[in-house]
Amino acid sequence: MSIENTEAAISPRKRFNILFGLTLFALLLVLWLILGLSTTTFWTSNNMANLLRQGAMIAILAVGQTFVIITGGIDLSVGAIAGFASTVVALLLAQGFPIWAAISITLLIGVGIGLFHGFGIVRMGLPPFIITLATLTSLRGVGLLLTNGATISIDNDAFTDFSRNDFLGVPNLFWMVILVGVPAYIFLQHSRWGRYLFSVGSNAEASRLSGVNVKGTIYLAYTLSAVCASFVGILLAMRIGVGNPTQAEGWELQAIASSVIGGTSLFGAVGSVQGPLLGAFILATINNGANLLNVNSFWQRVITGVLIIVIVYFDQLRRRKG
Amino acid sequence: MTSQDSAPHSVTGRVQPAPILELRGLEKQYFGTHALKPADLAFEAGEIHAIVGENGAGKSTLIKLLTGVVPRTAGDIYWRGEPVGLKTPLEAIRHGINAVHQEVVLCPHLSVAANIFLGEERQRFGLLRHRSMVREARKILDDLGFDLPADALLGDLTIGQQQLIATARAATRGARFLIFDEPTAYLTRKEAAQLFTLIRRMQREGVTIIYISHRLEEVFELADRVSVLRDGTLVGTRNIGETSENELISLMINRSIEQIYHKDSFSFGATVLETRNLSGPGFQDISLSVREGEIVGLYGLIGAGRSEFVSAVFGRQPKTSGSILWQGEEVAIRRERDAIKLGIALAPESRRDQGLCLSLPVSLNLNLPIYKQLSRNGLVSSREEKARADRQIADLRIKTAGRSASAASLSGGNQQKIVIGKWLNHGAKLFIFDEPTVGVDVGTKAEIYRLFSALLAQGAGIILISSYLPEVYELADTLHVFRRGEIVASHAHNSASHEDILSRALGSAPVTSTNAASGDLNR
Repeated sequence: MSIENTEAAISPRKRFNILFGLTLFALLLVLWLILGLSTTTFWTSNNMANLLRQGAMIAILAVGQTFVIITGGIDLSVGAIAGFASTVVALLLAQGFPIWAAISITLLIGVGIGLFHGFGIVRMGLPPFIITLATLTSLRGVGLLLTNGATISIDNDAFTDFSRNDFLGVPNLFWMVILVGVPAYIFLQHSRWGRYLFSVGSNAEASRLSGVNVKGTIYLAYTLSAVCASFVGILLAMRIGVGNPTQAEGWELQAIASSVIGGTSLFGAVGSVQGPLLGAFILATINNGANLLNVNSFWQRVITGVLIIVIVYFDQLRRRKG
Repeated sequence: MTSQDSAPHSVTGRVQPAPILELRGLEKQYFGTHALKPADLAFEAGEIHAIVGENGAGKSTLIKLLTGVVPRTAGDIYWRGEPVGLKTPLEAIRHGINAVHQEVVLCPHLSVAANIFLGEERQRFGLLRHRSMVREARKILDDLGFDLPADALLGDLTIGQQQLIATARAATRGARFLIFDEPTAYLTRKEAAQLFTLIRRMQREGVTIIYISHRLEEVFELADRVSVLRDGTLVGTRNIGETSENELISLMINRSIEQIYHKDSFSFGATVLETRNLSGPGFQDISLSVREGEIVGLYGLIGAGRSEFVSAVFGRQPKTSGSILWQGEEVAIRRERDAIKLGIALAPESRRDQGLCLSLPVSLNLNLPIYKQLSRNGLVSSREEKARADRQIADLRIKTAGRSASAASLSGGNQQKIVIGKWLNHGAKLFIFDEPTVGVDVGTKAEIYRLFSALLAQGAGIILISSYLPEVYELADTLHVFRRGEIVASHAHNSASHEDILSRALGSAPVTSTNAASGDLNR
């Protein structure tokens, strides 16, 4: 029971965690290598920038989603929130709000939606699946009501240019991933609240008895997820130059898939920030590569599904051995 | 070991049938560590064979090997003289080897009948024959003497009743060899008595029973033979008539029983908590106080209102009248966090459900109540976190592969050390321990009692709830006896006899037999 023993015993596990991160990274590199060899267009700066932009938005959704999944919940509404946020920010800009105000208000609406999810789960006792499913459908509806089904175009060039521009040769949208990812990592791994997300996901009752604010932790997780989603909605509006409540259809599933590929357990209490980020870019690479290889887009969906099964299965195998 | 096995004929007068199950050199290693050192043991058909040992002595490993849950590292198992693999649970069940676990593994949302027939449903034309199954189930329950409804949902029954159903289920499945793992841990005495009746009945029908328990009294009541495990080694097998509790304890551990209830005396300080005529659901008119350095014991039968009372003190349940005074001032405790903020800590009865984040590292579990102290501006100092965890692991002598190992990988006693130990650094002034030593072996008990002393030395007060009379009797400075939600007697340390206290707890009803009291007197 000496401390020396302890040190010796934990290092394999730590090594394993790093290894898993590295394996995903290796998978990503292998995919890039294969696509680079089999297509002429993959390694072009244009395509790489496109890929990074494509993956960036799902990656940010996946980070928020991961917080929720760690607490043992699920957030099905993130795609709908992104679509709704793109509409709101477009409407606000059309009303002549300055960019900073439009973005702030949209993010605040995200906070509101997240708090509502927390309220539904903590106060009304609804299962996370149900409350976020309800938001998914009703937010799309509210968006359509606001716009009367029309697409709101954005004339503000300063706003839309941001998504096309680069900084240090890397697309701005990818910088946004780092802007979200680094604080998210510190929050999850090095803050008290990060620890509480795990403890609530593992055993809410034991956490409550240990003095953890369990309700507050749940509010926090869903609020972070919703804010990430509304931030993605803003980025989406920048990228396509319009606000449309039906955009980002099915992104919640891609976000969940990225998170799970990145090693998050749907049973809660297991997850990281770097894993879902890699997961999102792996998915984006597959879609991008399939396009370049002229694979029927219907097949892309099938391939994505198969890949989720394969990756998560191998992860499970490794866990069982560990 | 072999000496006992090779000469079974010498130990009893009755004719010994051939062993139904024989282990030869059976061993199990996990990553090079022996969980069970090579063991030879023969189970006679139709005997009740008790297995005792401290937590981590290898009892669970033995069960897992026999039920095919884990593969063995070496050795042979003979079933009715034939070597068998027992590589999967299904293979074990096919031979008629079944286990009834401490925690019920059935479906709480299905009816009692559906659970009894789970996997072997009665069907006609591919459709379930509900009524006939309920009828059959009712007959099985009646035959066994259980007064339980066959069409009720399993989840609506008490844990003890569910355990009886699980046993009935195994009994109806043609089990020839049934392993009970601490079956009475959550049972009331009446339920335990029913279970014993059932076990004896199955024995008469020729079923071989392996009975694992910490309660030596039960072992002496039930078993024909008893085997003792210590640190993964089978240290001996005795006929029950030829051994004593003291011999078994000395085989299980290497220390005497007096060393277990270790108690340091501290001078009492100011009153930490006082309740005045506190009433709530399940308890009435409770007035008591806890001083610094004092252990206040609450003794009573299960359901006497002790847990309900502390729930109100901890803010889990509302009080209906009366008042709570904290360090002399009246306080309102509406939820758990109010209590924790004041400095009250509760170590709950069920460590798996309420005490631990099983899937998370030992270090997180140990530090969970004190992350506020470990963090600055919300950021946790991971160096401090690791240092505290390592110190706790060393101080509490928690047997773990390391601070990053999950709490689930620890044995029950070591898990309990975490549940209690995590409050050591918290600086709470009042600790409530609800049945802290249920399912914990003698050695760990002694360590837990030493933790109590450490807390008292820091100037804390302790409320100790226990249904195990020797424990509260030896440890409590003040002992309150609960019955039907009220305090019926209060005693200073060692000022009343066991019999006195027990008859108070039981009320006017006389102690009918030693059996009735055995569940409480011995564990």
